[in-house]
Amino acid sequence: MTANDAPARLYDAFVSQNPADAIAVIQRVKASGVAQAHLFDQLFAPAMSLLGGAWARGEIDEYGFTQAAVVAEQITSFVTPPTTAQDTGITVLVGTMHHDLHSIDKDIAAAALKEAGHRVIDLGTDVRPSEFLERAEETGARILIVFAQTMSTARSVLRVREMFSAGGRDDVVLFVAGGPFVADVSLARAVGANGIARGAESALKLVARVAAKSGGAS
Amino acid sequence: MTGRDQESLLAEGLARQGNVAPAVEACYSSLARNDADPLVHALLADLFLSGDFYDEAIAAASRAIELDPDCAPAYLALGLAYDRRGGMWDQSILVWHELAEVVPDLVTAHVQLGEAFSAAAFDEEAIDAWRTALTLDPTEPRAMYNLAVAALKREGMATALPGFRKAGELDPSQDDFFFALAGVYDDGTPAPDPADVPPDRDSRLAAALALAFEEDFFSAGDLIRLILSEDPDDAEALALAGYLYLKQEAVNEAMAVALRVLAVSTKTPTAVYVLGASFAKRPGLNRNAARVFGALAKAVPNNPIPHVLLAESLLGLQRFGSAKAAYLRAVELDPTCVRARFGLAAVLLTEGEHALAGHEIRRAAYHDTRRQGLFWRLYDTYAEGGS
Repeated sequence: MTANDAPARLYDAFVSQNPADAIAVIQRVKASGVAQAHLFDQLFAPAMSLLGGAWARGEIDEYGFTQAAVVAEQITSFVTPPTTAQDTGITVLVGTMHHDLHSIDKDIAAAALKEAGHRVIDLGTDVRPSEFLERAEETGARILIVFAQTMSTARSVLRVREMFSAGGRDDVVLFVAGGPFVADVSLARAVGANGIARGAESALKLVARVAAKSGGAS
Repeated sequence: MTGRDQESLLAEGLARQGNVAPAVEACYSSLARNDADPLVHALLADLFLSGDFYDEAIAAASRAIELDPDCAPAYLALGLAYDRRGGMWDQSILVWHELAEVVPDLVTAHVQLGEAFSAAAFDEEAIDAWRTALTLDPTEPRAMYNLAVAALKREGMATALPGFRKAGELDPSQDDFFFALAGVYDDGTPAPDPADVPPDRDSRLAAALALAFEEDFFSAGDLIRLILSEDPDDAEALALAGYLYLKQEAVNEAMAVALRVLAVSTKTPTAVYVLGASFAKRPGLNRNAARVFGALAKAVPNNPIPHVLLAESLLGLQRFGSAKAAYLRAVELDPTCVRARFGLAAVLLTEGEHALAGHEIRRAAYHDTRRQGLFWRLYDTYAEGGS
């Protein structure tokens, strides 16, 4: 089977209602070096176009079209790109500062980081500085995002940095997030933060930057 | 309801025509003769609301409710005024509760109640209110948008996005967009009987589109088959066939047909739409959907919907900044686009901009009630003597 006739073979498998043949075609194409991320565009979509053409010309009837579409459905997961990103091996600790119960920003950022393949350990809200350190020691995490939404809790993030310094963990990268830090950048510097996550996408970029600098998993 | 005076009827007529200032003047003339007509106070409240005079709207609506605690249009104006004025969530919750009691089957009252609860951080109560709304009307898009926003706050975008897309499908704007691409607009003319359609391609296609518009998918499909039997590569007929499959949740069939069209002609925007909408229904195909909707947004730059569809695909790729730009473009094109405003609210939440997100949701609420003509529905029912 050549790469050029693979869509036609997949189409044949659809029309003959043979999911096993369809999977065999996919596996052969993958074995020929086509990446999972390209299977949909290079194999499935052309086969579906052939199927649509056959239906339009009346070569297959409505029932056959529906049955072929069912087979296509059965093998869709073999050709679509993975819904979640591959594990990056990067561990990120997130949590909201002690005496602060705001969780929405943290939850959204944590979900985005997980979706991007990072190993997120969510410590929840009202997290004491010592707990950040303990969990960093347990997990080996080197990236920490501390959320604070009030001025007093934002200022107290300094205690987290002090706790890590006292514990000999100056290697940990501390990002801060929350309204007070966005409104006053100098506050982030004052608490010893390495950067401000200004939302979920910003958190993704900051973590990606640290991962690129450190050259991989932490 | 007692007989209406001439001034109040004049005020009503002017208000319906959008002549706000003369309508307000006529309301005051009417109230100078009779200060005890709740309908005029309610109308005045709505007029003030349309001019963003919230305190005046609150005063007028409150007076209407004092005169008659069953005056439903006054509750609507009062609730919207409280919401848009901001910082009055406790009053707002009470008002929407009252409206839900006065008109128990009014879906929007439950949706608004949920939004007021949410703004006051009563998240569980908010979700209950939106679920009640969906129980009353499973096709209520705004309740679904709100539930998607609630899911975003708790579990992130990956969980919320299917909710936004589902709400978008319930929202009539998406189907309207397809028909706008096909050049079909609701002019009130009923679709023809398929048996009476002349046997030529253009008549059949026009009839099939009209039948599809009226959701008679099987008759439309029969006419499409007749067109394809003469020309299997008729791109517009194929695109409509794809749309019909899409409406029947046959996503693979829709995708197959749309891909076939694009193999024949890349310049059929209806087919591009069907392909993008098929991709958007498949987890993992956000990149493909973004590519297709990006092309559609370039091809139809002045319609907000392709920008919204592009933005939703970008949300799936976690490209929140780009999604925001697309949503802002959609809102710029159509400030009343509820779907764009909810999407923009979602993006703003990912940026921690809670106040701005709340603002967008309140604007969406206002435009949604306007789009539904809800005030006038309640007003007319009340004027006829019901609540």
